Amino acid sequence: MIVNDVVCPFCGCLCDDLELEVEGNRILRVQNGCSLSEATFMNDARLPAPIRRTTSGWEEIPYEEAVKETADILRDADRPLLYGWSSTHGETQSVGVHIAERIGAVIDNTSTVCHGPSILAIQEVGHPGCTLGQVKNRADVIIYWGCNPIEAHPRHMSRYTTFATGFFVPDAQRERTIIVVDTRRNDSGGIADEFVQIEPGGDYAVLSALRAIVRGKESIIPQKVAGIAKEQLIRIAGICTNAKFGAIFFGLGLTMSRGKYKNVRNAIELTDELNRHTKFVISPMRGHGNVYGSNEVFTWMTGYPFAVDFARGIAFYNPGETTAVDILRRGECDAALIVASDPGANFPRAAAEHLAKIPTVLVDPHVNATTPLSRIQIPCTAAGIDAAGTAYRMDGVPIRLRKVIDRGYPDDAEILKKIYDRLNGELGP
Amino acid sequence: MRVILESKVRKKPNIPIEAEAIIPRNFLKGTDLLVYEGNKERTLSELFWIFVEGTAVSPENIEVVLKGDTSRIKRVGEYMDTGSILISGDIGMHCGNFMSGGTIEILGNADAWLGREMRGGTILCRGNAGHYCATGYRGEKKGMQGGRVEVFGSAGDFCAEYLAGGEVRVHGSVGDFPGVEMRGGQLIIDGDATRPCANMKDGIGVIFGRVHEMIPTFEKVERRVIPEWNITADVYRGDIANRGKGTLMVKTAGSE
Amino acid sequence: MTEILVKNACVIDPIRGINGDIMDIAIRDGRIVESVSDRAELIDAHRCLTLPGGIDSHTHVCGTKVNFGRYMSPEDMRAGRTRRHGRMHVTSGYYVPTTFGNSYRYSAMGYTTLLEGAMAPLEARHTHEEFTATPHQDMLANTLFDGNWAVMDAVREKNIPKTAAIVGWTLNAVKGYAIKLTNPGGTEAWGWGEDLTSIHEQVPHFEVTPAEIITTMIRANELLRLPHSVHLHCNNLGKPGNYQTTLDTFDLVPDLNPDRQTLYATHVQFHAYGGGTWRNICSKAEDITRSINSKPQIVMDMGQIMFCRTMTMTADGPMEFNLHCLHHNKWSNHDVELETGSGIIPVTYSKKSAVNCIMWAIGLELALLTKNPWQCLLETDNPNGAPFVKYPEVIGLLMSKRYRDEECATLHADTERRTSLFALEREMDWHDIAVMTRAGQAKALGIVNQGKGHLGAGAEADIAIYPIRTDSVDPAREYRKVVEGFQKTRFTIKRGRVVSRDGEIIVDGANATFWTNARIPEDIRVDNDPEFIRRFQEFYTVRMSNYPVQDLYLPRGRRVDTEAFP
Repeated sequence: MIVNDVVCPFCGCLCDDLELEVEGNRILRVQNGCSLSEATFMNDARLPAPIRRTTSGWEEIPYEEAVKETADILRDADRPLLYGWSSTHGETQSVGVHIAERIGAVIDNTSTVCHGPSILAIQEVGHPGCTLGQVKNRADVIIYWGCNPIEAHPRHMSRYTTFATGFFVPDAQRERTIIVVDTRRNDSGGIADEFVQIEPGGDYAVLSALRAIVRGKESIIPQKVAGIAKEQLIRIAGICTNAKFGAIFFGLGLTMSRGKYKNVRNAIELTDELNRHTKFVISPMRGHGNVYGSNEVFTWMTGYPFAVDFARGIAFYNPGETTAVDILRRGECDAALIVASDPGANFPRAAAEHLAKIPTVLVDPHVNATTPLSRIQIPCTAAGIDAAGTAYRMDGVPIRLRKVIDRGYPDDAEILKKIYDRLNGELGP
Repeated sequence: MRVILESKVRKKPNIPIEAEAIIPRNFLKGTDLLVYEGNKERTLSELFWIFVEGTAVSPENIEVVLKGDTSRIKRVGEYMDTGSILISGDIGMHCGNFMSGGTIEILGNADAWLGREMRGGTILCRGNAGHYCATGYRGEKKGMQGGRVEVFGSAGDFCAEYLAGGEVRVHGSVGDFPGVEMRGGQLIIDGDATRPCANMKDGIGVIFGRVHEMIPTFEKVERRVIPEWNITADVYRGDIANRGKGTLMVKTAGSE
Repeated sequence: MTEILVKNACVIDPIRGINGDIMDIAIRDGRIVESVSDRAELIDAHRCLTLPGGIDSHTHVCGTKVNFGRYMSPEDMRAGRTRRHGRMHVTSGYYVPTTFGNSYRYSAMGYTTLLEGAMAPLEARHTHEEFTATPHQDMLANTLFDGNWAVMDAVREKNIPKTAAIVGWTLNAVKGYAIKLTNPGGTEAWGWGEDLTSIHEQVPHFEVTPAEIITTMIRANELLRLPHSVHLHCNNLGKPGNYQTTLDTFDLVPDLNPDRQTLYATHVQFHAYGGGTWRNICSKAEDITRSINSKPQIVMDMGQIMFCRTMTMTADGPMEFNLHCLHHNKWSNHDVELETGSGIIPVTYSKKSAVNCIMWAIGLELALLTKNPWQCLLETDNPNGAPFVKYPEVIGLLMSKRYRDEECATLHADTERRTSLFALEREMDWHDIAVMTRAGQAKALGIVNQGKGHLGAGAEADIAIYPIRTDSVDPAREYRKVVEGFQKTRFTIKRGRVVSRDGEIIVDGANATFWTNARIPEDIRVDNDPEFIRRFQEFYTVRMSNYPVQDLYLPRGRRVDTEAFP
């Protein structure tokens, strides 16, 4: 059976034009997708049943026991941490927030190691952006700054930018100018019309210089900024101000290099300045398929997009204090529930190690680097494969992930609801 | 009146304590205050040995002294308006938040967000201060608006971010982006600084030590003697990228 | 079967012509009935003011740009925090509250139905998710068409049936309720960073004017027999001298519908400015209301501003950017492909600003100078003019000249000569307020026959009992009591359940969402049109099959069928 218009849940592109060949509860073939989507749908080895650590290894336990023990662990904790959420769908994320609110926990998502700094910058200066179709249909100048879309978002350029045919840009390759800014020439830099090589940590200075040039104050800029000649900076600024529609996409090169949210803020302020001359937008290249969804759900429920601390009964937000990495690094939490993510692989070692010292429960369909740090793992559906639900694309467009096959696993929303009901019942009003 | 609080040994010493109730004024009514350990409510006496010396009829005569391991105690001195607090060791985050009067003295080191959104009063930190010393809260246009923070050791990154008023002085060095987004007040750094006063809109920054990575969009105005500091300094205007009209003075090498 | 009997209610029900009778209201299984058994739960209203549940016909509470407003404002979130207790979840936010915050605060004020002011079709799923998390109010969605490419093409072709077919298909696909036009044509121009300055200026490339979009869409709306009229945010919002654009727009509007208005003009305060610069801006409320008073086919709402810090968020992208350049506050922008745009920026309205004082005066003038209260409804374009929790203060100002005078005495000195407010003596009465906060909305939105806005047998039992004794309060003098009284009901009843008691939410919500389904003839349906499909698949970045909002996003959806193309 062929299923059309399937949504790939892997990365922030949420390509929704995949064609899957399905037989029974197996996916045989993926068409139209990139190699990451093929791996997502085809290399999908699951943990068969819930497991609990014993002194000698692991034992399989029934779902009910796993749920009960998880509720026990969370109920007794003085500072429980609920982390992850980026690869599952909206309903699960909502239940997670309800649990955190109920037990006075900290709830955080993978923004914390990825685009958290972008969010902080947006909270300082706002976000002048748009949906991806605006870029596809109008943009004649595209800047990729500190990211490598060819590797991390393989179809970004063909669906939304460089190679995509747009209504006002029918001859995409000829009509679009692509600028890549990075510390070293990668594959994305290879296809750029102009590659700008920047010294590591120099993004902030370059962005300040560009802002001044756009303001007409180029005379105060030194001859070289972060390894880039002033002439090139003036040329880049000129390409931008002469564009009909410019779009900046940025990634971890800005968010995770020195200064973090200040780099992103400076890029946004450059975009603001350019809007006085022409139309310019800026967008973060969100990594996980539904991390933006967790930001959206957390925000409409609590007021904050990540790092929310309910210990005092109200919602409190302070990245650096209430973010999962910091809490783990300081050894502050005494229990953890990890859902749909892999901090064991992505967190600094000192933080990840703390997970092994406390009772940690992992709710995730796959064995991953967090499994050895956990006391219990509860397998569940994988959103977009055997569970349907809402995901938010990197530009905020909400798309419904499909359930393509059934592998007999419970939805993680169901598992969490059972945990919530137990906690609610035992904790009283 | 002096209230001495000595922290007790705890079963889970890493769980942070929130103690915004610890301000001099609150001890007028007694010592029956509530503090929070993670998501659990505790009485002050559960977490501290409490000793009270003397009496007071008004809060400006109350001194609170903290002893023992207080490095994980947050929000001490929050909204403090009078009286004094002496912390014998290290102190946790958010010490002196929203302070409007009185004095806090820390003999050890202070964790992040010391003096956040301060409006008045004095904070003296004998040791080092963490990141975000004397700053504001996420999303607010103004940070510290008044008062004085003096750090005798060094301070971390983003010191005095969004400074809008008052004075911040660090005798040691500071980390990255001190005085970023500042729009008023004075920031004085005796030691070294990296990328100072970036995106500044207004206010005065003075660096006595070395500046690493000067922001390229500051315009040098002149080199002159600064009598009130008794130094020769390069005086810059900026941050031009941000339509800023702030002043950044960097002491020239080899001057007094 | 659950029965409630509300006794001794002092009822004002303008739709049924009841004005202050003391009566009982019988409720069974969520509806108002003639009588109930003696096993009914008794609520004694103690002769307090009892009105149909409040209806807000234009508020921004759910969806992409509202959520943008929230997450870019952690400093607002911490301003309005409450803890979880009983049935109430944690809430945060003062001018852009979280969804539970909105729902609880509206419920405390007696509001039971809300129209979300702007929903972009491509992002409708997000709006519906937030609707479900606003559990104590029934929801309806204004669906944005102002920059819709397919619509503009059909308008250029002067093809009203085709325009209607596109609108009908879209409303059905995204479960929207009504047509919303925000700065028509201007949002497409903003896709290039431009704007339109006149309703007769052509949209770049599409070669249609705002006037053409408005008039074609009005006719398409009536062809579809939609329950609400076209809902319009006029061009040139916020610009000194824009009143002429507003008057010219009003002059375009025919009278095509006997049951309701043909145009709903929203937040007209922002569109009633004379002068030409910020220096000489003045009120043109008199001119605007003169037009309204002679045009029963137009209903407007005030768009009242109040003096406070708040958040502006509209689909009017260019306007928001202009505010950013003026005040340098943090600014967000979100243009939606092939459809519309939006901008979000915080503002502070201050008595020290002559302009803000004039704006404040204009909103009140519009209400006081409109002869028929059914034609000028009470809103603040929440949160653009002020957060909705300020509605009671607006009510107080409308009912009390004394309150207005006290406020006027503290305004900027220039205000008096640039508006006519100071001289206006009119004081609204309880009946006028009931019209302006529920009955008028129900009629304008076309939901009276859904059982909203009145308390007759068959109506949905949405009832607000306010702690106000109309026989012992003089609203002209005791405006403080009026304001307090409207801030918190004794009881808010929603579909026959008491949901709020003295401001405390006591049950989990189970709201419904109303949406329209116009029956379009097969031969002009756009999902049968290969050209429409081709353009959709080529220029959107989602597939047409993934665009419609699935039924399960509306757990209690209420489809309103219309016999289009009669």
